[in-house]
Amino acid sequence: MAAVDYSARPVVVRPPTPWHQHAVFRSILYHGLVATAALIMLYPILWLVGSSFKPPDEIWTNQTAILPIEPYPQNYPNGWAGFGGISFATFYRNSLFYATLGTLLSVSASAVVAYGFARVRFRGRRLWFAIMLLTLMLPTQVQIIPQYIVFKQLGWLNTFYPLLLPRIGGSAFFIFMIIQFIRSIPVDLDEAAMIDGANKIGIFLRVILPQLTPAIITAAIFSFYWTWDEFLVPLIYLNSPELYLVSLALRTFSDPSGQTDWGAIFAMSALSLLPVFVIFISFQRYLVEGISTTGLKG
Amino acid sequence: MKNRKLVFILIAIALLVLPTLLAAAQDQTVVRISWWGSQNRHDRTIATIELYEELNPDIDIVYEFQGWGDHWTKLSTQAAGGELPDIMQHDYARIEEWVANGLLMPLDGYIGSGVIDTMNIADSSLAGGMVDGQMYGINLGNNSEVFTLDTDAFAAAGLELPALDWTWTQFEEIANQIQDALGIHGIGVLTSDQLWKSQYMGCCDQWAYAPDGMSLGYEDDQPLIDYYNMLLRLQESGGMQSYEDSVARGDQGVEAQLIVSQEAAMAYHWSNQIVAVWNASGPERNFVMYPIPRPEGGQSQNYIKPSMFFAVTSQAKNPDEAAAFIDWFVNSVEANEILEAERGVPVSSVVRESLLPNLGAAQAEMFNYLGLIEMDNSPIRPADPAAHADVVGNIFGPEFVEPVMYGMISPEEAAPYLREEANRILAAQ
Amino acid sequence: MAATLTKAKRRKPSNFGQDNLVGYLFIGPWLAAFFLFTLIPIAVSLVLSFTDYNVLSNSGDFIGLDNFQRMFFEDRRYARSVNATLKYVVFAVPLRLVFALGVAMLLNTWRRGVGVYRAAFYAPSIVGGSIAVAVMWREIFGNDGLVNFTLNLLGIEGPNWLGRPETAIWTLIILAAWQFGSPMLIFLAGLKNIPRHLYESAEIDGANAFQRFLRITLPMLTPIIFFNLIMQLISGFMVFTQAFIVTQGKPLDTTLFYALYVYRRAFELNEMGYASAMAWVMLMVIALLTALVFRSSSYWVHYESDEGPA
Repeated sequence: MAAVDYSARPVVVRPPTPWHQHAVFRSILYHGLVATAALIMLYPILWLVGSSFKPPDEIWTNQTAILPIEPYPQNYPNGWAGFGGISFATFYRNSLFYATLGTLLSVSASAVVAYGFARVRFRGRRLWFAIMLLTLMLPTQVQIIPQYIVFKQLGWLNTFYPLLLPRIGGSAFFIFMIIQFIRSIPVDLDEAAMIDGANKIGIFLRVILPQLTPAIITAAIFSFYWTWDEFLVPLIYLNSPELYLVSLALRTFSDPSGQTDWGAIFAMSALSLLPVFVIFISFQRYLVEGISTTGLKG
Repeated sequence: MKNRKLVFILIAIALLVLPTLLAAAQDQTVVRISWWGSQNRHDRTIATIELYEELNPDIDIVYEFQGWGDHWTKLSTQAAGGELPDIMQHDYARIEEWVANGLLMPLDGYIGSGVIDTMNIADSSLAGGMVDGQMYGINLGNNSEVFTLDTDAFAAAGLELPALDWTWTQFEEIANQIQDALGIHGIGVLTSDQLWKSQYMGCCDQWAYAPDGMSLGYEDDQPLIDYYNMLLRLQESGGMQSYEDSVARGDQGVEAQLIVSQEAAMAYHWSNQIVAVWNASGPERNFVMYPIPRPEGGQSQNYIKPSMFFAVTSQAKNPDEAAAFIDWFVNSVEANEILEAERGVPVSSVVRESLLPNLGAAQAEMFNYLGLIEMDNSPIRPADPAAHADVVGNIFGPEFVEPVMYGMISPEEAAPYLREEANRILAAQ
Repeated sequence: MAATLTKAKRRKPSNFGQDNLVGYLFIGPWLAAFFLFTLIPIAVSLVLSFTDYNVLSNSGDFIGLDNFQRMFFEDRRYARSVNATLKYVVFAVPLRLVFALGVAMLLNTWRRGVGVYRAAFYAPSIVGGSIAVAVMWREIFGNDGLVNFTLNLLGIEGPNWLGRPETAIWTLIILAAWQFGSPMLIFLAGLKNIPRHLYESAEIDGANAFQRFLRITLPMLTPIIFFNLIMQLISGFMVFTQAFIVTQGKPLDTTLFYALYVYRRAFELNEMGYASAMAWVMLMVIALLTALVFRSSSYWVHYESDEGPA
């Protein structure tokens, strides 16, 4: 640190900038701090990826090390092979289908519903909003069995319908979140559009929606991950292994009382982070750009 | 708004395509089967099923599989919805509860008519699947509790291997000697409910539960108190891993046992798990399998336990075909050459003999050990009462083992409470 | 600056008239899904909470308030699960929010490499609930894991985190604080939504960074803080996965979170009636707390528009 601040000290005659306010110093401080913290944050993932390259007799005997003594990439094909000829290619296809469609459904529906709650006044609005929040507070565990019987009556067992169709109403979490974002958009814009003759639908599509980019991107990132990671509901409704998701397959690898290929579990667990990570990386760009599209014209 | 249209079209297409993907036209008889296990078991079981379908073109076996915990969550939901598969893999500790609720079908008819052939299966191997005098589960493999000894560690500590009918006193001494000589534990924690239930068999020829399952089977808390005082001494000396350490490590499966990482010289587990232990340890290690130590002057605490069952559910659509498949699964040499005793030592003597020549070291040790136990065992216990999970999960673990092992209460104080509470739950079921 | 914000807050309700048809049109999808898929299971679980319904026998009798009597007066483990959950909520929720907001502020810049940092800070939040993750967290808090290794460097001898009843719950609280990614992203999105011109005019007024934070960032962010607070509160009470995969409630029930206990009763012991009763008690407690926070919101949450459902 000391070396930096002296070399960076300006030698001009004007009142010197105090060293701790100097841009270079602040930049180094920022990156030093943030990068260290980021490394700590990344440690678990580094460990997971490292362990996925450990041979079977190293996993429990060389547990703390990040790097394997003898790299063993064989874990990946072993895990990828899946079960009895149904490989992870199938599970990835199913998960990608479910997470993509599920995210599209729940995020687009949430935006529509949120606009209704946030910008339209109607009888019963407060009541429905309260009920919507209440649905978040009851653990799924006690709803599963009655729900199972409902979907059974509809003949939808062993299909994706029970997982996808409830999403046509959006998710309470995203609806509430988007409501909060809409409410921080000044109503002047709506009013201006209204004077121009736009109706509610027009206002939603042309005024509100473009401003919601950061919120919708955020919702999409979460929704994809939560859908990708979901296991209790898919476990109950998907019977055929050809329909299993990655999250289910990962839980199907091990048996506490039998033989477990931990290397394969680590390998497939590490790999299963990849799509979620890719979605995040490619979407977070829009979070940064969000500011330019939403920079208010007011 | 082109994007939004695209979204709707995508959704519409997906909804149209899905059902056609899922509807598979069937003119075969469908038998649904569900089991728990790990990758190895899934692979072997699926291969066996495929062979069966090849031999029986009119049968379509539709399978589901999952991990142990998920199995019960899923199957109990299916039970409530009337959607149970024809065949389900079942467990000794739960079968009574499922029978009590009328969810399983008695198989005596199929055994009588020869659909399920039990000619080559010893009665002791079948007894575990009997509830109230009827057969509800066909045993898929014999199992027994075992103390596995690392012979290299014993040699390094300068210890002789004990006699096969070793006692708890000898065991305690050995565990401490290992700790003294090698600085590693003698063994991992020994607080499993299995050992609680067995204690009374060794000393007093009693089972933890009364025959009718409505109360505990013992009146005297002393054997239990003595046993836990021994565990506390061993925990103190390091002869046994501390309970705290075992909690910190968690239940991470057979491969994480201390004997694997050479942090202990002995291990307590089920006999079929020796394969996993040996695999994770490496082929250069040497293990021998011992029965549970017995009390001074007492009898063997070991018994032959079915590792798991196949049961036909009462919601089965095609129970006849299900029974036929179970028969083949248990008796066919071909099937068992694929299964390779992964579920424990096969119950059919014919199958056992056909497998003998091709066994690996760990499996050979397991087969030998089961042979030994068959010669000297205690009688098969009745299946656990329906409230067993409640007693163990809510009383034995949290109100007895944990407070005692954390030193919050003495075994003398905790044992009567355990008996009282357990009796209350058992009486109320 | 402060004056304009106050003015915005005081703005009279805008000139939107009541429009039932349009309103129900927009929330229609949610209503449809609610009536089709959510209402029945919720209503059934409420009914079951007054019964001794058992999943395996698929039957149960009405037993009045027995379930509630049992949970409040007889079930020792219930009390412990309440204890563990409250402790978790009290510590984990504020920690997560503070971390999330702090890091979001730190990452809300145009510096080079900030995208990489954002990904790194979000990374722990996507590791999910597989068995590998349980092994991973155990390893990190194990005797020679990362946490104790770091403490050792500082000259502190770390405890046996997961083995001791005093510390086990802290591993889950730290784990929760570690996984602050989702509130952080929401904060980031919220920060992006603050119009830049507010900062520019404040800078002209000579406000320093801290003043800008206090006068612009904080008030403009209150709707998002409010949202994150409510959601973290709800998810804090419903915490399940961490205990389910890492500690299984041990040791001595110090990490037996409420939702985990509900799950155990419902699926390991098949006592769905009792589990439903427990779930409904929790719902009422969360609802009450949420209502209180909503009540308080008129004092501290600043909206650009007074429109809104609550």
